[in-house]
Formats: sequence, structure tokens, C-alpha cells
Amino acid sequence: MSVDALNASTPTAAEENGLFSRSGVLRRLARDKVALVAALLLTAIGLAALFAPLVAPYDPYLTDLTKVMQPPSAEHWFGTDNTGRDILSRVIYGSRNTLMLGLVGVIIGGFLGGFLGILAAYYRRLDGWIMRLVDVMLAFPAILIGLAVAAIFGAGLTAVVIALVVATVPDVARVARGAAIGIMSQEFMEAGRAVGVSDRTLIWRYLTLNCISTIFVFLTLRFGQIILIGSALGFLGMGAQPPTAELGMMAAQGRDFLFMAPHIATIPSFMIFVIVLAANLLGDALRDVLDPRLQS
Amino acid sequence: MRLVEATPVLQVDGLVKHFPVSRGLIRRKVIGMVRAVEGVSFEIARGETLALVGESGCGKSTTGRLVLRLMDPTAGSVRFKGEEIATLDKHALRRLRRHMQIIFQDPYASLNPRMTVGEILAEPMAVHDLHTAAERATRVKDLLDVVGLLPEHARRYPHQFSGGQRQRIGIARALAVNPDLIICDEPVSALDVSIQAQIVNLLQNLQQRFGLSYLFIAHDLAVVKHISDRVAVMYLGQLVEIANKRDLYDRPLHPYTQALLSAIPRPDPSVRKERVLLAGDVPSPFAPPPGCRFHTRCIHAQPRCRQEQPELRDAGNGHRVACHFYETLPIPEAASTATTSLGKLPERLAAFEAAKAARGGPAGA
Repeated sequence: MSVDALNASTPTAAEENGLFSRSGVLRRLARDKVALVAALLLTAIGLAALFAPLVAPYDPYLTDLTKVMQPPSAEHWFGTDNTGRDILSRVIYGSRNTLMLGLVGVIIGGFLGGFLGILAAYYRRLDGWIMRLVDVMLAFPAILIGLAVAAIFGAGLTAVVIALVVATVPDVARVARGAAIGIMSQEFMEAGRAVGVSDRTLIWRYLTLNCISTIFVFLTLRFGQIILIGSALGFLGMGAQPPTAELGMMAAQGRDFLFMAPHIATIPSFMIFVIVLAANLLGDALRDVLDPRLQS
Repeated sequence: MRLVEATPVLQVDGLVKHFPVSRGLIRRKVIGMVRAVEGVSFEIARGETLALVGESGCGKSTTGRLVLRLMDPTAGSVRFKGEEIATLDKHALRRLRRHMQIIFQDPYASLNPRMTVGEILAEPMAVHDLHTAAERATRVKDLLDVVGLLPEHARRYPHQFSGGQRQRIGIARALAVNPDLIICDEPVSALDVSIQAQIVNLLQNLQQRFGLSYLFIAHDLAVVKHISDRVAVMYLGQLVEIANKRDLYDRPLHPYTQALLSAIPRPDPSVRKERVLLAGDVPSPFAPPPGCRFHTRCIHAQPRCRQEQPELRDAGNGHRVACHFYETLPIPEAASTATTSLGKLPERLAAFEAAKAARGGPAGA
């Protein structure tokens, strides 16, 4: 076989799934109609949330006692709540807070969990200690952590973020550790050591870069759940405090008027449902696209 | 025969590696040791190729990793150009990595998929502060040329190459720091037969060009016969025989070596020599048999073999063998026949050499 012939070898998509480097991933994702709809929905909600002051038709905190509990109309698309606030505006601001909670929880939790998992895989002496710590975190339901933190520091967004981080870290740590242990047994890790590469380079360039897409997919899948937990904490009154708009809390407030004005509770709830569903569908699609074994 | 200098590049003396096996959830207790390597000694001269052969699980790869200090030995000494490396600290060890390199068995797993070939080849130089960045880029191209790849390959990722090409990249990486000794850990076993000859020839050319010494770990005796100067046979963590290639293939003294050699397939169906067949499996290194470790499978075993462990004894001309009774054992004819019929490898190598000569280029280019 001559070298000229060898040059013709083409990359196979199945082998290389660089999340950030290959345009192929996005293109394949776009071919999946469900994923496309989910991605568009999330993007639309995200953009609306990001530019809430520009998008929202009314001030979400402006009460108008002459227009309480109005059903959806041309003037107020999603109606008004029990103090006459525009629900559409509140849903937009509420999505902003809810998405922010989910994102912050997933990013901090993903970073910490990934770090712990990779360290446990690289330094096997730390493995037992780190994973027992993770087991302890795993033993407490996020709601309970939220309650405890709220009891100590007072209810608020901080309490929710801490609870969400605690809910994210153990699972991410386990996934990251599993992926990293798989990478550790590859010969290129040994090759790096034989060359004399430092621990730091080995951990980052060899280990982390090779399991980052696994962690990323897992976080995308977790995002929906984290939002759900965040909203649940808001519903239970441990998160955002009135009058701040947050979807879970809005659903809780609307609960009292469920029979008189069902839209007050159902619209924010439906919004949570849409966000979580879209995040899960997108996560599933991303996993499928990035997993070479699932490709036909 | 290549010019062989007097001072050995590598001296390994009484190398031992035990892996503890522990049990228990809370109080972990060491319940025993896997005796992977048990008192292995050999040396490699400058420019020499020592082949280390044996069945899988006999500890030959572990020995290679111990020599490189990719694992810490339990006991014994490894001296590189006279310097003891079994006790070196982390920094001294990193300096040493410049002089000893390794080529791995699996070309698909031994290259970091997240780095381009150029990065993979430049990294060893960067780690050891060799050359400026610009010189490194030039040297990457030179290295690619040396192993028969093209300069533009530097920008590609490992997955864009075939197995044989990847192995060339692995070889280039080992060469990047201009080492004196390269451990070849079954460098051709994972390759297609048609590619094996190319890689073996490449390794030989590089050896002549750069004066490299090889510790060539393998189980393919035909390949070993082609590339090595001396051969060490390993069984259950111990050397059973070590000799010049010619001596070993013509006159194998240890029953285990005899069995190994008779297992080489012969392409001539009319030659029906009696084969030395081994019964049973290799005993577990967790509980190796007492006395001679080979006695459980040896057709010549006698009571003494069960009690007394044989030392490596000199049988003349640097031929050493660990067997109590080698003087009295018959040398099976099958063994000597095997030396003239090595399967198709010689033909493959010859054909490759001819094609190379016809094209007028160096091997693999």
C-alpha cells in the first residue's frame, strides 16, 4: 500500500464526535425534526427570557386591582392574576429566573461534579474518599437540601441554587468518573506518561478533553430535571420570594384560585412543562447524535 | 552482525513486580500477590535488539513497563547507561524519558484523539524543552518523512489514519526526543499481516539509521526471528532461556522454548514432524507452582523439578537456560526444522524489500 493511496482515507463521522469542533454534529441534529422543534422552542424561550424587559408587554410587578383574574384576552394574552398583573409578562420574567436557576445549577454542579469525578479517576487514592462524599450527597434529596439551606440562610434564589448544585454534583461526578476511568485505561494515557507529560496536562488535555462530550450530553439531559426541581422548590416557597416572578412560585400562588381562574396556575405550569420537555428531547437527540453506536 | 559496544544501554537485574490482591469492603486485607515478574535479569547492548517472548500473561509487557518506570518495581534494579532508575524521583525520571521511549501494541488506543498528529509529535519535544517552536514544526515534518508519512499529515487527527499509519505516528512520537532505547510492546501484533512487514522493516531501518536499541516484546516468533539479535523466553514471570537468536532457534534447550518453536506453523504439509504439544493452561501467577514453574506442563518433569527452582545456567556462548536437566534432554528435530520454515514472513519481507528497491526509496516512503 503506497502512501498516496493511504492519503485517500477519509474520516469516519462515527469515530470523531468533537462537540465543539465538528460542524457535522449540528447538521445531524437539525435533521432530527423533533430535536429541531425542541431546540427552536428553547431558543425562543431563552431569547425572550434574556431580553425580557424588551419583550414583555407590561411591567410584571405592576398591580391593577381593577383588572384582577381576567381570562386571556387581546389586551392580556395570558390574562391577569389575582392582583391584576399581566401573566404573559410575568411568565417571561419567570422563565428568566427559572432558566437562570437551572443554568447556574447545571454549570456549577457540572463543573464541580466533573472535576471530582475526573480527579477520582486519575488519582485512584482519592477515589474512595471522593466517591463516598458523592454517596453522602446522593443520599439527600434535593428538596431536603433546599429546605435545610433555606432554614439556615433564609429562603431565596441562593438556597435553590445550592440545592440544585447538590442535586447535580453526585450524578455528574459518577458519570465523569466512569467516562474518565474508561479513558485512563487507554494506551495514550500511558504514552503521555512515557513522554514525560505533566499531571496537569494529562488531566486536562488527555483525560478531560476526551470525556467532556459525555459530561456535556449528560448535563443537557439533566437540565430538564434540574429545572423541575428548581420549580418545585419555588412552588414550596423556598425559592424566589414574592413579588419576584418565578414559574414554580407563580404556580403555587395561582393554586388558591384554581377554580375561579384556572389560567393563573396552569399557564406557568404549562411553561415549565414545555421547557422541561424541550430540554429532555434536545438532550436525547444530542446523545443519539454523539453516540456512534446509535448511528445507522 | 551489527557493531555492538561493550557498555550495555540497559541492565536489568533481579526485577520483581508483585501486584497485591486485596479483599474486604471496609478493612481491606491483602490476601496475596500476583507474581507478575519474579527476578528477571538481562541486558541490552547499544544498537542491539533483545526480543522478549512468551505467552500472554507471562509478564513480558509488565517487564517493559517496569524498565520505563511506568510502574514501580517491587524489587530489583534497572540501570540505564549505568544509572540506577528504579529509585529515581519524579523530576529525574522525566529527564530520563528523553532517552527511553515506548511503542505500543494498539495503534488505535495509543494516540490521543483530541490532538493533531503535529501536536502529538511536538509534545515530547516541548515537554523536554528541545528546540524552538519553529524548529519543532520542522522536526515534526522530518519525523513524518522518516516514518513514511507526508508533511501535511501533521494537521490531521489520528482517526483519519489507518492502523499501519497510526503505528508509524506512534513510532515517530517515540523518535521525537532522539532516544537511545525503545521498548516495542508488541508493535505489530495488532496490525494486518500485510502491514506487519512494513513496520518491522521500518523499525530495522530506523535502528540502523539512529543506532537505536530495542527491547522487542512479542509473541510472534517469526517476526522475532527476523528482527532480533538475542531472544529471551519468559514463562510465568521468569526467564527460562536467553540466547543469541541463531542458537535459540537452532538449539533450543529449555522444553518450553522447544514447545514454543514447534508451535510455529509450517507451510509445507509434507513435513510431518512430531510436535511438542503443551498440555493444560499456564498456571495462575497468583499461586505459581513450586520448584520449576514449568514442571506442571513439562513432558520431561522429574521429582527434583517440583522441589527445586532451577537457576539460569550458562550453556556456553552466552546461551543461558533455567532447566535442571537441559544437558540430557533431546533437542526435538521439529525445533530445528522450524527455523527454516517461518511461514510466509520471509517471503513477505523479501517481496517488500524488492518493491522498495524497485521504487528506489527508503522503506515505507
